[in-house]
Amino acid sequence: MPVLVNGRMHNLPEPPTLAALLLALAPPPPFAVACNGQFVSRGAYEDCRIDRGDRIDIVHPTAGG
Amino acid sequence: MQDPLTLYGQSFTSRLLLGTARYDSPSLLSDAICVADPAMLTVSLRRQLSGSKDSGQSFWNLLRQTQRTLLPNTAGCLSAGEAIKTACMARELFQTNLIKLEVIGDEVSLQPDPFGLVEAAIKLVKLGFQVLPYCTEDWVLCSRLMDAGCEVLMPWAAPIGTGQGPRNPRGLRDLRERAPDIPLIVDAGIGLPSQACQVMEWGFDGVLLNTAVSRALDPVQMASAFANAVKGGRSAFLAGPMIVQERAVSSTPEIGRPFASESSRSEGPATRMA
Repeated sequence: MPVLVNGRMHNLPEPPTLAALLLALAPPPPFAVACNGQFVSRGAYEDCRIDRGDRIDIVHPTAGG
Repeated sequence: MQDPLTLYGQSFTSRLLLGTARYDSPSLLSDAICVADPAMLTVSLRRQLSGSKDSGQSFWNLLRQTQRTLLPNTAGCLSAGEAIKTACMARELFQTNLIKLEVIGDEVSLQPDPFGLVEAAIKLVKLGFQVLPYCTEDWVLCSRLMDAGCEVLMPWAAPIGTGQGPRNPRGLRDLRERAPDIPLIVDAGIGLPSQACQVMEWGFDGVLLNTAVSRALDPVQMASAFANAVKGGRSAFLAGPMIVQERAVSSTPEIGRPFASESSRSEGPATRMA
C-alpha cells in the first residue's frame, strides 16, 4: 500500500523519508506538512520516516476570513 | 503614530482587519485591500485542490505585494487538537506567531466552542503563539482566555457570514466595561458600515470582517465605506459621546427668546418672572 498524499495515492519513495517524498513531488513553496495528522517542521523532513499507508498532508496559503 | 491600535506589541494606524475570502477575483481583493487600508489580512491554509496547478502561489504573491501583516486562522477546526496542529502549520507557512484561533463548537451556527477554545489557547500561548481567539461575548469565557495569556479578544457580533450585526449589544458593551484594558476586536457577523461604526462608538478597538465586503455588489466601494465607518466610530468614541437624557432638554438658549415675557406672563404665575 503506497502513501496517501492529500488523499491521493503516491509511490513510497526511496529512501522512505518525508524529505525524499517532497523532493519527488516538488510542491511549490510555501507549504507546510503533516504526517498522519501530526505537524512535521521543515527541519525534521530528513528524519521523518514514512511507511506504507501513511497519510501526508501538504497545505498551501489560501484565502480566509 | 496618532491613536495606534497595538496588538501584541505591534502598532497599526488602521483599526480594520480584513478577510481575504469569497472575492469574485484576485483583482477585486487587491483593490479592496488598497481602499480599506487594513491593519491585518486574515488568511488560511488548505490542501491543493485536485487538478489545480496554482497551489496558492498567485494568492501568496498577492499577499506579499500588499505588505500587510498576515493573520492566519484555524478555520474549520472542531477540536483543540486540530486547532493546535493547524496553528503550527500556519506558523511555518506564514512565518508568524500570530494566530486567529477558531475552534467551532456547532457546525450550524459556527459558534465557538468555549471549552476547546480555552484548552487550545492555553497550549498555544505556551508554544509561543500570539493568540487572537474568535470567541463570544460571554464574560466567563473571555476571562478564562485572558487567564490563558490571550492579549487580544475577538468576540463575535453574530454568526460568521450572516451580516446580522450585533445580536447582543448589551453583552458586548458589558464585556467592554468589564475588560477595559485588553484590545477587543469585534469579529464576525458585521454586515453594514453603520454596525461597525456602532461597535467602535462603544469603545471596541477594531473590527474584523470579510463577507460584508467581499459579497457586496461593489466590494471596493464597500471596503471604503467600512474604512470610513471604523474611523468615524473611533473618532466619536474618543470625542466622548453625550450622556443620554431621560427628558427633553432645549438646545437653543431660552434667554433672549422673542415674546418670552408675554407668553410667560400669560402661561405662568407672576413669581416666575422675578
